[in-house]
Amino acid sequence: MKQVHNQEKEQFKKLFKQENISDFEDRFKVLEVFLQTEHHLTVNEIIQLLKENGYELDPDFVRETLKLICRFGFAQKTRFNSGPVRYEHRHLCQHHDHMICTKCKKIIEFQNEKIENLQTQVSRAYGFHMLQHKLEIYGICSECLKDHLKLMPLVMAKQSERLIIKDFTGGSTARMRLLSMGLRIGDEIDVITNSGLGQMVIALDCNRYAIGHGLAQKIIVQTIS
Amino acid sequence: MHKKNITIALAGNPNSGKTTIFNNITGTRQKVGNWPGVTVEKKEGSVSKYGHDLKIIDLPGTYSLTPFSIEEIVARDFVIEESPDVVIDIIDASNLERSLYLATQLRELDCKVLFALNMADVATSRGTKIDANKLSELLDVPVVFTIGNKNTGIDSLLKAAIKLAESKSKISQKRKVKYSNDIENSISKLQSFIEERIEQNLPYNIRWTTIKLLENDKIVREHIRQKTGNKSLEIFREVGTHRKHLLDRFDEDPEIVMTDERYGFIAGIIKEVVTKSTKRRVDTSRNVDLVLTNRFVGFPIFILFIWIMFQTTFAVGSYPMEWIDSGVNWLAAILEPSLPDSLFKDLLLNGIIAGVGSVIIFLPNILILFLFIAIFEDTGYMARAAFLMDKIMHLIGLHGKSFIPMLMGFGCSVPAIMATRTLESNKDRILTILITPFMSCSAKLPIYILLAGTFFSAKAGTVIFLIYITGIILSIITGRLFRSTLFKGADAPFVMELPPYRVPMIKSLIIHMWDRSKMFLKKMGGIILVGSVIVWMLTAFPRHINYSMDYNEEINNINASFTEKQKKAAITKLKLAEKAEKTEKSFMGRIGKTIAPVFAPIGIDWRGSVALLTGFVAKEIVVSTFGILYAAEETDEPDALKNALLSSEMTSLSALSLMIFVLLYLPCVATIATIRRETGSLKWTLFSIVYSTSIAWAAAFCIYQGGKILGLT
Repeated sequence: MKQVHNQEKEQFKKLFKQENISDFEDRFKVLEVFLQTEHHLTVNEIIQLLKENGYELDPDFVRETLKLICRFGFAQKTRFNSGPVRYEHRHLCQHHDHMICTKCKKIIEFQNEKIENLQTQVSRAYGFHMLQHKLEIYGICSECLKDHLKLMPLVMAKQSERLIIKDFTGGSTARMRLLSMGLRIGDEIDVITNSGLGQMVIALDCNRYAIGHGLAQKIIVQTIS
Repeated sequence: MHKKNITIALAGNPNSGKTTIFNNITGTRQKVGNWPGVTVEKKEGSVSKYGHDLKIIDLPGTYSLTPFSIEEIVARDFVIEESPDVVIDIIDASNLERSLYLATQLRELDCKVLFALNMADVATSRGTKIDANKLSELLDVPVVFTIGNKNTGIDSLLKAAIKLAESKSKISQKRKVKYSNDIENSISKLQSFIEERIEQNLPYNIRWTTIKLLENDKIVREHIRQKTGNKSLEIFREVGTHRKHLLDRFDEDPEIVMTDERYGFIAGIIKEVVTKSTKRRVDTSRNVDLVLTNRFVGFPIFILFIWIMFQTTFAVGSYPMEWIDSGVNWLAAILEPSLPDSLFKDLLLNGIIAGVGSVIIFLPNILILFLFIAIFEDTGYMARAAFLMDKIMHLIGLHGKSFIPMLMGFGCSVPAIMATRTLESNKDRILTILITPFMSCSAKLPIYILLAGTFFSAKAGTVIFLIYITGIILSIITGRLFRSTLFKGADAPFVMELPPYRVPMIKSLIIHMWDRSKMFLKKMGGIILVGSVIVWMLTAFPRHINYSMDYNEEINNINASFTEKQKKAAITKLKLAEKAEKTEKSFMGRIGKTIAPVFAPIGIDWRGSVALLTGFVAKEIVVSTFGILYAAEETDEPDALKNALLSSEMTSLSALSLMIFVLLYLPCVATIATIRRETGSLKWTLFSIVYSTSIAWAAAFCIYQGGKILGLT
């Protein structure tokens, strides 16, 4: 955490110097104190906190500084239940990027120096001042992927494989037809023949069914090991 | 004692043994017809037992009463429209879960149902014991044990059916499927909504109607539209709201949810009535299928079976064919001297006997072919054949099942077109009917043999083979063309049960074979008879012809100077010339000359035109017409016709053109009548005639004119 705050301080310094903002040292103290706490603070609480740290600053100055800090994106204002305005950190560089599994909704956090640097470079090249960024990668996590690979359309099944019907895709007519013939989700089936072109013979208990290519693509199965 | 009529409908899954039970009850007293409006076979039988006249109707085998195919629609319509006194649901004990699915649907229909728990012996051997009393109690329906193929339990089944029909008690409303709260809510809300909006009573159970509307059943919707008129829109809007609500609630179409819940209900019943032992018997059928449907050997085995079928049909069939042929000749020979020369004698001998005789000789072929098909069907192999052919038939845009009719088309188009009845989808059926005549039937073979033998002597075999191939290729092209134009639309999902292999029962084979053959004899006999008489009339009239010379005088003139042998030859020659001139000047000849310009561009002269015209009655007649027109008697001298043809203006190119035309042009009267009957549509019949004839003309034109350009004359 300290590390991160140091980075923010560096940025702050750079920005304020660029903007030729006066009283940098005092303003920096405000920032330092603000960053040290992880709470949501009102202006008065920050003044109080500054006092505790031995900095006597004019409340208006503090208020103005906080506005500046907000303007540069280091903090933001919030109001909880119409209470007083409080300031909270906007964690900029401390952020991590996210990978979000669309299937199980799991979120994986990651950090990659190369990406971070690249972003800075790109921003610079556009003359863009980067305050923060957000990177979310959507996809399927390794565990779901493992399950997903086991699921396949029936056409892909090999002869004498034992499978469990997991799902039907396609319209309700085809599905109703399979249902009324006794093929249902959860049934265990054996592949008797796969002609290679999609026509298949499958066995369910003591019944056997011939299934055409189109339909075999719509039956989603999982192998039983 | 006063006899009462009771109508009993047999319902059940395909392969549940329904037909066996039907055959056992009715024996040969069966009537095969069509369900009104559709070409699904309707089997009816009547039997008098226990003081009642029982009318038994064999409903088409179905898995559900959801209208997917014509069979399901027919079965359901019969139960709701005709309200039979009793519906016997044949339940395949070894397939209890699936059978009960249909059973619960029948229960919902509110008709008097009786369960025949069939083939419980098979189930027991597989380690499944079913408690019939419990089943009866749980569903509130009488249950009788039967074993169809051993003919046991049939009597008690009929007794129970009569008892149920006689009973006055109301149909129990209990023990029906109860759906989950959300669905039941929708049902009751929608039900009262509908009840408020219709004055007269609905013909069917209101709860059932409501359920079907929620399931988006097209046919019930249509009924409602007709019954409620402009109120239907309001009702459908309400149905839509409820469907939407249920879709949101379950994230599935309501019909799927309800099907699942029905199965849930069934699972509950099965849990209570079935005891399963863990022993697992070897499933023989499954092992046979491992071989017969195998991706590598399955197909060669299939070809072998087909080869055996054709070999037997034509090789074994040729013996009785000869007997019938000689029988017909014998009849003609007896009648010839015993009748005085008259117009009637001519009609009888040359019209009726010759015409009908030429067709009746195919009866043995048809019997054998149908015997094989019955064996394939009853053993369960037919379904495998359809599976094996599915990938090839996909080229045409049809399912494997369409292959069987096409294959039979090589024998005779009439039974082939009749065999399209096994196809589920009406589109598939009509398409198959349209392309089947391109499979060159056996009656066309004598024409090829004559023409190819005459003009391509050494290469005759290859030429004939190529003609057959042309037919197949054109049927594929036609199939693809029609599939992408006239018969557009998604294929019905192809899923077909492969029934367990069974040893066919002789009785059922005979009934099967006889049904078809009887139809062939009855219907086709009539058409052939009429057709033969018409051709005879066209060739026999007008009676008085102005001959170019007086043949009798010429014959008398010869007598003077020649030797006996020369004299005989000369007389024969003159007599034939007389006959030829007579034909030329008959109505038939005149028609031939009138239409000759149409055939001129494809290299066929007026004689060919006449021959082709007579081929409309039966293709075999083409050869005999050639015989008459080219003034040669094939019977006397085998090569006479050949020589006559060779010395005529006909060339090998025009012969080829003629053969292609014969292959493709309009089918014979019998086939056309069958097409009319099976499609149930004059439009399609005319379309078939026009299409095949135009294709024939176009193909023959290309060959003849193309050949001429290439200098092949």
